[in-house]
Amino acid sequence: MSKVMRESTLQTLGLGNVIDIFENGRTPADTAGLVDQVFGNAGNRGSLVISGANGIVGAGKTMQLGSRLEPFGVRVVGLDFPSAPDGIGQQYPGLVQAFGREGADRIMGNITRMSYDGVNLPAELKNLQPRFLLEAIPEILEIKRAHYKLFRDAFPGIEIRSVTSGFPSSELGVGIAHPAFPHEINKVWEIVEPEPSAVTQLLWSMGLIPLPVGDNWSFILDVLFCGVTLAGLRYHDSSNMPFWKIDKFTRKLLGPNPFRAHDAIGAKGADFLTWSCLHHLSETYGELFRPTAVLEERKETGQTWYPPNHFRPLVDWRLDAEADQEFRTWILGPMLQMTSLMLHEKRGHLSHLNAIGELCAQFRRGILAVIRDLGPDSVIATVEDYHRLYPDAKTGKSWYPAAFDAIETPDWQQLYVNAEHDGTVGVITINRETYNWDVDHELNRAIDWLKAEGIDRVIVTGDFHISTQMIGADTSDFFAALENFEEGHRITSGWPATARRLNDEFAVSVGFVNGKRCLGGMLELLIHCHYLVSVDDAQLGWPEVTLPVVPGMEACHWPFRKANPDHWPKLQDLLLNGRPTRASDAVGWLVDYAGPLDQAIQTAWKVAGGADHGLQQRAVEGGALKDVPTEVRDLPLPDSPGMETARGAIIECMKQTCALPLAEALEVQAKRSADFLASTTCREGQVGAEYTRTMSV
Amino acid sequence: MFPNARIPYGTWGSSYFPAWQTSALAEVNIGQFAGESMGRILGLRKVPKSELEYLIIGSTIPWHWKFWNAPLVASCMGHRIPGYHMEQACATGLQAALLAGAEVDSGSNDVVGVLTFDRTSDSPVGVFPERRAHERTQAIADVWDNFGFDPATGNAMITAAGITARKYKCERAETDEVAFLRYEQYFDAKKSGFLERVMVPLNVLNVQGRPLGRIDDDYGVRMVTMGGLRAMRELDTCVTGGGQTHASDGMSTLLVTSKEKAKELSPRPEIDIQFVAKTEARTHPSLMPEAPAFAVQKLLDKTGLTMADMAVVKNHNPFAVNDVIFSKLLDYDWRKLNNTGCPMVWGHPQGPTLTRVLIEALEEAVDLGGGHVLVFGCAAGDVGIASVFKVS
Repeated sequence: MSKVMRESTLQTLGLGNVIDIFENGRTPADTAGLVDQVFGNAGNRGSLVISGANGIVGAGKTMQLGSRLEPFGVRVVGLDFPSAPDGIGQQYPGLVQAFGREGADRIMGNITRMSYDGVNLPAELKNLQPRFLLEAIPEILEIKRAHYKLFRDAFPGIEIRSVTSGFPSSELGVGIAHPAFPHEINKVWEIVEPEPSAVTQLLWSMGLIPLPVGDNWSFILDVLFCGVTLAGLRYHDSSNMPFWKIDKFTRKLLGPNPFRAHDAIGAKGADFLTWSCLHHLSETYGELFRPTAVLEERKETGQTWYPPNHFRPLVDWRLDAEADQEFRTWILGPMLQMTSLMLHEKRGHLSHLNAIGELCAQFRRGILAVIRDLGPDSVIATVEDYHRLYPDAKTGKSWYPAAFDAIETPDWQQLYVNAEHDGTVGVITINRETYNWDVDHELNRAIDWLKAEGIDRVIVTGDFHISTQMIGADTSDFFAALENFEEGHRITSGWPATARRLNDEFAVSVGFVNGKRCLGGMLELLIHCHYLVSVDDAQLGWPEVTLPVVPGMEACHWPFRKANPDHWPKLQDLLLNGRPTRASDAVGWLVDYAGPLDQAIQTAWKVAGGADHGLQQRAVEGGALKDVPTEVRDLPLPDSPGMETARGAIIECMKQTCALPLAEALEVQAKRSADFLASTTCREGQVGAEYTRTMSV
Repeated sequence: MFPNARIPYGTWGSSYFPAWQTSALAEVNIGQFAGESMGRILGLRKVPKSELEYLIIGSTIPWHWKFWNAPLVASCMGHRIPGYHMEQACATGLQAALLAGAEVDSGSNDVVGVLTFDRTSDSPVGVFPERRAHERTQAIADVWDNFGFDPATGNAMITAAGITARKYKCERAETDEVAFLRYEQYFDAKKSGFLERVMVPLNVLNVQGRPLGRIDDDYGVRMVTMGGLRAMRELDTCVTGGGQTHASDGMSTLLVTSKEKAKELSPRPEIDIQFVAKTEARTHPSLMPEAPAFAVQKLLDKTGLTMADMAVVKNHNPFAVNDVIFSKLLDYDWRKLNNTGCPMVWGHPQGPTLTRVLIEALEEAVDLGGGHVLVFGCAAGDVGIASVFKVS
């Protein structure tokens, strides 16, 4: 019987806990079996129909699902009006880029395009045995309902999901699978259905990210995205600030630039969708969501929010401290109030609610992480300030300050990191692709919890759900460090101290790489485990030199202490070139085991559980390392002067930290990494450029 | 005049007027700049631009896409309203406000924006059929051609100043004294913080969205000394570099509204600013500097007011000669004019010049506790314009 710190997000898909995956030695659902369930067995396999297939959503999903279902012989039917502009054909170049010409031709060859008049289905459709309809037609309730009837009459028992962003399942009479933009590549789908279905589990097994949400008017993503757009619109009405500048200040405050996003999606369609969501929300919840006159106008005109190129903005807008505070209230106030409503309605697992903003709406940190930092008192005060600016927001049923009462519970406190155990072995899961202070704090709490539970064997891994890879540090957390050494030092001494706990505080710790890559700070974190187990085709590496930064979680000496000197040049190559290596090529000097997913899972479990696993632990050398080469030969030319400088700094850091005992190395690497973060080279690199783009508004 | 129209106090603003070629304004489409700046200024004044119903723009120098006039400028502000463009040389800035008064008074609109602007820097070059030249066609720089040649008389503006100075037997010593005082008045106003209440610093971006320059001063204006003024070469009778204005760039804006809207939009609704009267006069060829005095005299005759009734008197004076002649004709001490500065000092961007004069004058009147405000000036074609407002 396993015990969990908070509910696993996998559980919301009916797929159990992550520890179950390790205990069972395999993932809980396989694609082939689910394809059989949804589309029928191989001899009698039906097809997927996407209606509105030439639209932005339809075409994107035709590609995303078509590329994944083609190997299983599931035919994809793209259905649309004869007059619809060719959206599917426009996807071909992207498909070639992702799969090569041959692969792209194969995927496109598996798509059958059909036209219909909206009333009668083509007779040939019957031959393709439609089993699953993904409806992506315009957001008009009556038309959608008639569309479902048409299909149900023709194909009784067909599974139907709507991609609607706004209509609840209860209104439509079908389940919801609302995908996030950009539709070709974004893996997130908001799912509304009574119980986790085979369709949803199939999406998960194909590497997509289905997130169950509540059945309400407009789902979480649209409340956040349309909400932040509306907040910007209200501020515009109050201040006259142009939309492009509101975008910049909003990006600085939270991350999204909603008006640019509308233009990027296509203002005409996006404006209508945003209006539609807000309109229905306002009908249900009141003035908090009421679309402004500007949006009412633009849903008709489809006018872009940014000026045309020949009228690129001339006059800049700045905010003094008072105006900045007011801006913050106009934007944060409604977002916090809307979030209180979603919490009150229990619209989803808190990690989902939080992650949707990050993965689909450009939030730098999820809205719940922001709220957690602010604290309930500050949140409530901000909303009340907003009500003073916009008293109408108080009306209706949309403000639930009590929703923040539970902020100290694990559901709130462990948005990104969870812990589970079976009484002997613990599993720590990280559902964020990048490491930041939130993850760091939550990881420490997860370790504390396992220790308190008496667990001294642990696997550290992704969550097999929201996080499909581990990219490295969240460089937006470096922004303050660009200006302030102390801020950098706080990171470069604090984060590795957390990582060392995995080495120091457990009898056995296993880092497990289950995604397609594990890079940078995330790899530094996992190498602090006693063992590193990976799927064999995962890419591992330290791209820091290309940014450039100096690795801040001990990559400059820790892996050298665990590797035979013969392998040190390979580690140096990883650090100084920034190019990743395949996990299967790194066994013995960086990775302890690499194999196919199920075997890797089983190996990790054996190691963690103390079963016979046949691996030799690579001990960490605690003393000073001798003869670490300081001259690195045969390096290819650096890509930039910054990379050349970073190489020098990394070599110097390597030299100094390897020459020290383990106990003393941390402070030296912390100082050198923080020094580099505050250097001109770093400010002129990618982190600095991102900082300037985001924060120098 | 226009009993239903008001100018809501504190909703106005102006860019600084940098001298031509001294600032980022030399690089911009001035219509776009003006539209965006008006949005910014109204924002700072807490007036939602959605309140605007109509826009009257005024400019005198062609700018790209001028054909689309006020609706385009309104779009640059981010508010799609109708309106039109007007121009009357250097009278533009006052005439536009008066036209807005008429628009409101007629009941057509309750909130009318007045937005005047011009860019003298790199003024457009027009190619005209030109009978003055043996080539028959000439490329002509708009600003300099007009400064240098009144087609009705064949004389330059500066020549008109010299001719008029000779007519009134002006003394060089007196025009130097006027010029010196005007500079002192301007710098005193600046030092007191007065200008910061009406002028709005604006940051200009390049096409990449990066800072191109900050318009936060009347660049090119430097304090002069009496010795320096006296030592200046006379360009025509009583006209020196120190006693005449200079070309500059900028914009200026105010609102004209119904009484009710003025109370609603103004941060100080208790202040009431009314239109009282307006006149224009045209004098003999090349005597432009005397025309404003005639316009003012006509105004006084019409209204029954006297110069003693005026709390604030402020004019557009491209030449110090203008002020001397005004004093002679109206028997009014030029020392009482232009307390916070004037175009002779801060420059001459044409369209917005008299709008800035007007808003500075109204602001000064509010400081003084109200009263009549006389604003006047000269304009191309030997024209003078004058108007009286009442601040209470």
